[in-house]
Amino acid sequence: MRHVKTLLGSGGFRKGEIFVMCILLSGCSPSREEGGRAGQAGDSVYVLRWEEVEAYMNAAPSPVQVAVWLRQEKVPFYKEPLHDPTLAGRYSGLKGAANLGIYLTDMAYAHATGHHQEAYDYFSSISRLATLYNIEDILSIERIRQMDKLQDQPDSAQKLFARYYGEIQERLNETGQQLMLRHMILGGWAESLHIILYLVERGNNNQPLSELILLQRSLTPLLVKLYSVDTLHSSVSKQIVYYLQGLQAEFERLPASEPSKTPTTTIKQGVIQMNFKQQVQIAPEHIQAIRAKVEPLRQFFIEV
Amino acid sequence: MSLRWVGIILLAFYGLYAQSGCRQIIPSCRASYMGDFSWDGRYWKAELYGGEVAEIYYTFFRGLRYRLIPCGRSSNQSVPHLRIYNSNRTLVLDTREHGERKYWDLELSSTQLLIIQLYYSEGEGCASLLIGHKSAEIVRAGK
Repeated sequence: MRHVKTLLGSGGFRKGEIFVMCILLSGCSPSREEGGRAGQAGDSVYVLRWEEVEAYMNAAPSPVQVAVWLRQEKVPFYKEPLHDPTLAGRYSGLKGAANLGIYLTDMAYAHATGHHQEAYDYFSSISRLATLYNIEDILSIERIRQMDKLQDQPDSAQKLFARYYGEIQERLNETGQQLMLRHMILGGWAESLHIILYLVERGNNNQPLSELILLQRSLTPLLVKLYSVDTLHSSVSKQIVYYLQGLQAEFERLPASEPSKTPTTTIKQGVIQMNFKQQVQIAPEHIQAIRAKVEPLRQFFIEV
Repeated sequence: MSLRWVGIILLAFYGLYAQSGCRQIIPSCRASYMGDFSWDGRYWKAELYGGEVAEIYYTFFRGLRYRLIPCGRSSNQSVPHLRIYNSNRTLVLDTREHGERKYWDLELSSTQLLIIQLYYSEGEGCASLLIGHKSAEIVRAGK
């Protein structure tokens, strides 16, 4: 059944075929037929439509991508906004998964800014959490050391991190832990937004960071949808949707970018260049208002 | 067992076979076309019938170069194409108008959420999309 469910996640089958397979494989309830899995929500057992969830889940950038970008932008490192790595052992379940995403993002940020000792500390925290989700072999001590050895080869280290992150996603999917994966992605997203805001608050309010904040206006409605699919069954999802809707409202108050967001596009030898001619500068009061909405969501995840 | 049940069983095994085939194209596409781009493990795959499209939301950062690898072959041996929309759902590009390629590289002047539709112009079958990324600076430096 697990194999079929994972495949359903691709959104590839038509409903009739899904139903037929459920009959054959037995133990397949009508709700599972909808592509969901029975999952522990922390407050109840429920199923959800995985095709819907998956469509929105990958919209948020992964810590891997964020790290490459942060390194390219040469942003400074600040330790203060990052989560406490010594708390890793105190999380489990959905909260643990969200903190896995948070620690992965903190580690990626530390690594991208050349702070390898901090990155190593976060990797160790992640390794402690990994045992809860059957991914300890992916984040083993040997692998941490392997990555640590690449301190002077940041490109290779980032590639290795991309590989590990890919393996985590795949393992969570294949072992029926999609709810955990969803939380890991949201936790990572919240942490990256938290770090970006901190960078802006510390006077790094430049165009690329502003663009990244403005991007959230398009992204947050998708994250609301990502968690709206099971608010009837899960008080955790209901709470998260509440926080996300607050954020969404705040992002909608941001000044609109250029009148036309349609870019000029050129293609040369298979390389597509899109020029959006976008000029964005976000006022400090907007940053403050967004911060006020992000903080409760982050606290919801990290409080012990 | 009635003929109906035999039909159901055959259909189910066809479905499983088709999905397994869909899954199998991902590693081979990755190995063939990802090159030195980083891949964070995300992929999309779908069985597309009767003009169906698979829709993908993805955040693209300025300063990074992306490799979009549409994989698969339809029943008519056509390759999957990509329609790229901005976040307001305005069509920006349809790769079909620019010929068939194994992959497309993409760079944006600003960070954006784009919506990509994966589709076959003819026929039906499995299609998947992989997206890799690397620093555009590294590309330009020829590393």
